[in-house]
Amino acid sequence: MFWQQLVNGLTLGSTYSLVALGYTLIMGVLNIINMAHGEIFMIGAFVGLYLVTYLKVNIFVAMAGAMLASALLGCLMEMLALRPLRRRAVSHLAPLISTIGVSIFLESLALNLFGPQSQAFPTELAAVQFELGPIRITLVQIIILGISFGLMFILRFWLAKTRVGKAIRTTAENIETANLLGINTNRIIFLTVALASGLGGVAGVLVGLSFNAVEPTMGLSMGLKGLAVLILGGMGNITGAMLGGLILGIAEVFTVAYGASSYRDAVAFGMIILILFIRPQGLFGKRQGGRF
Amino acid sequence: MAILLNQYYLQIAVFVMVNAILGVSIYLTLSTGQLSLGNAGFMSIGAYTCAILTVKAGLPVYLAIPLGGLAASFISIIIGFPALRLTGIYLAIATLGFGEVVRVIVLNLKITNGALGISGIPTLGTKIGKILSSFGLSKFGGFSAQQVSTLLVLVILLLVLAFLIFFCIRLNRSRVGRAFAAIKADESAAEAMGINTTYYKLLAFALGALIAGIAGGLSAHLTFFIGPKDFAYHRTVEILLYAVLGGSDLVIGPIVGALILTLLPEVLRSASNYRLMIYGALLVTMMAFRPQGLISEETVRYWKGKLGRGSKQ
Repeated sequence: MFWQQLVNGLTLGSTYSLVALGYTLIMGVLNIINMAHGEIFMIGAFVGLYLVTYLKVNIFVAMAGAMLASALLGCLMEMLALRPLRRRAVSHLAPLISTIGVSIFLESLALNLFGPQSQAFPTELAAVQFELGPIRITLVQIIILGISFGLMFILRFWLAKTRVGKAIRTTAENIETANLLGINTNRIIFLTVALASGLGGVAGVLVGLSFNAVEPTMGLSMGLKGLAVLILGGMGNITGAMLGGLILGIAEVFTVAYGASSYRDAVAFGMIILILFIRPQGLFGKRQGGRF
Repeated sequence: MAILLNQYYLQIAVFVMVNAILGVSIYLTLSTGQLSLGNAGFMSIGAYTCAILTVKAGLPVYLAIPLGGLAASFISIIIGFPALRLTGIYLAIATLGFGEVVRVIVLNLKITNGALGISGIPTLGTKIGKILSSFGLSKFGGFSAQQVSTLLVLVILLLVLAFLIFFCIRLNRSRVGRAFAAIKADESAAEAMGINTTYYKLLAFALGALIAGIAGGLSAHLTFFIGPKDFAYHRTVEILLYAVLGGSDLVIGPIVGALILTLLPEVLRSASNYRLMIYGALLVTMMAFRPQGLISEETVRYWKGKLGRGSKQ
């Protein structure tokens, strides 16, 4: 029972981590909270679903398609809703409000395009199960764990070692200095938003697969969870987002398994309210500066 | 006149009033520069407390509504003490989280009747109608009793709103109001000037919650039914929009915002599916082109100058 729940928690948590990474990347580089991230995640899930349903493509191709579509959507958002705000000095709450606008726009758009009902992936992946001692693990869970951990490690490595990764970290550290050092910060911002949104899109397909349900309102609840992880792990802290997601996933699964199942959605926010009061910089955050 | 005062128009006018009161509530928290996204949560506490008091405990409405507001205010002080140590986006997220927690708790408690919500709440209109008929008044010239009672509700709401506006204007000229403005302009500087920022921020937060709670109680007694969905994230966004569209410099800003945003969906009935899309686009455009909202202090000064000159000539 315990090990089974742990695996379930890790699977759920790894999708939270992927979503939270999107928040964290944008937070790190742009210093804003992208409230529309949950909705970009939801659109990604729908793109994946429609690719599988109507074009009958392989699930991995669908994930790539979802990644591409949400990355494009992210770029569009950056051009229309964020860039105009950067051009002039506005209150630091302006980008927050602007992305809330994008979020309700996208949710309502999805409601009109795809309908309010929950739709399922037409695959038989969930039926395939493996027995590993006391644990039963489905193929879907293996795909989710593989893809999300794989993506997280690639991201980690890419940020640490490659030229572009270093440029992103420099921009996160200080955007003016990065500019002076000859980094095209506008391009880096674009790239970061695309990357964050792309990760969100993949997470959308993974979550759609694991719950076998894709619906327009899934973005809001997932977005709020991702936000909780962002706070839990510390703003703009990549490791924090990864571990924070896993912690939240495990905490939620255990809350459901040992009693209070109807309070599941309150776990995330109960946790962040607690964290904000006890350790506002997050579990893995430093007190000041030093992102990534 | 009788045509103008049909039930539909009166109902819309009533909703405009309640939303305007919500606008005042977000104005008060914003007047110290705090973005709190918990107003829907406070509204929910007010509405549920009030509905439970009248439906289950049989308290009269005029007592239950202020009690609902006080309950919301009390909770806001409890969570405000630690929450107001947070600033900017941290506070916004913590209060957003608070709203979600309230929603989940309401969804799970027995006394709030879970997802079904509380129905059969006596509406203010029928209450007033009963009082009128107990005096033997059922026809008023060309108006029906129903019209008259809704009209009276509207008058009551108008009085509440007028009092709130008066209160805010007086507040702005007082010591407290100046402290609010100083904190909004620069919190550290205000603290250096000897202003107890925690106290004033908490005060603004609790006042906002009180008014949101009262608005919640009023809306419970206007709509006959409340459910957890009425006070979810979308309600928060709507309240935020009042302040963003109207402007949060002056108390009249969010009220105008509430007026526009309550009337707009009625005018655009045919586009009702796209209402939230329009709201979203509106938020983005406002932030890009006029982040201070439609009505700012400069706007008022400009029109005052223009009108003043006009009258002299």
